[in-house]
Amino acid sequence: MNRDKHKASGSTEADARDDLRLSAARKRLAESRGQEDAIEGVREIVANFLGSEELGLFRVDRGNGAFHVFWSFGIDLEEYDLLRALGHPGLERVMRGECHVELAAGEHAGEMGRARAFVPIRVGNQTVAILAILRLLPQKLEFDIADMELFKLLSSEAAKPLFGSGACDAGADSQPVTEGPGIRA
Amino acid sequence: MTKKILVVDDSKTALMMEREILERRTTYQCVTASDGREAVEKAQQERPDLVLMDVVMPHMNGFEACKMMRQQASTREIPIVLVTTRGEEAYMEAGFQSGCNDYITKPIDSAELIALLQSYLGE
Repeated sequence: MNRDKHKASGSTEADARDDLRLSAARKRLAESRGQEDAIEGVREIVANFLGSEELGLFRVDRGNGAFHVFWSFGIDLEEYDLLRALGHPGLERVMRGECHVELAAGEHAGEMGRARAFVPIRVGNQTVAILAILRLLPQKLEFDIADMELFKLLSSEAAKPLFGSGACDAGADSQPVTEGPGIRA
Repeated sequence: MTKKILVVDDSKTALMMEREILERRTTYQCVTASDGREAVEKAQQERPDLVLMDVVMPHMNGFEACKMMRQQASTREIPIVLVTTRGEEAYMEAGFQSGCNDYITKPIDSAELIALLQSYLGE
């Protein structure tokens, strides 16, 4: 336990909060024990720090360029069309490594909880999976600047715990898994 | 005298974050439990000054643990703050009926959490 406790000054309040979130998220991913625990870690980070309980992972099949639902929570993604959701340009940007964040989805602007984000999970310069965060909790109205740092962290540090060090070589051959509220929260 | 907070959550990520907030930004001592059943036992053993507890947990949820603590003389007076992703009024009402003193929703804002804790424990 840290015995050198101190209080942060008011001027660094937001920075300190963000540092705490980032360090906790980084630690959680690094300490994951196996794929199942890593998936749980990602779910916990998204639920606790980003405020969403509808999310999923699409694995990129490098053989044919297709996307396969690898895991989802709170929503069934089997019929979800990533291309339709992002459009060609959007999907290409995500595949190039950019996060696609909609503070409030265009046609639903004004409604609460329509913000969504698509985060490329990267190994080196390759996107091996896409994390889709599809609906925010009612009390969280939109993504903020600090959330972008968490997206970057997930993008650069989630692949190894999720898919192992051979993530670039692995195909999308795992069975999809769907969970939902009530099973875990 | 250092105030002690029992932090209860089945999520390792949430526990890490809450513990970090308390240890780096307050003078409160932190003890942890990972489900409601363990929380009831730890509350009796540790006699914390406040319990900060998640609601949805395995074995025994936060509402049930809250009720149990309220039924026992040694833990009846301990302030309990429930933490949850669910912010609906009916859900919060159920929390208050279980005997909690306050409610905070995820994602946790550290400044809001510290202000809430200080309102019960002082700085």
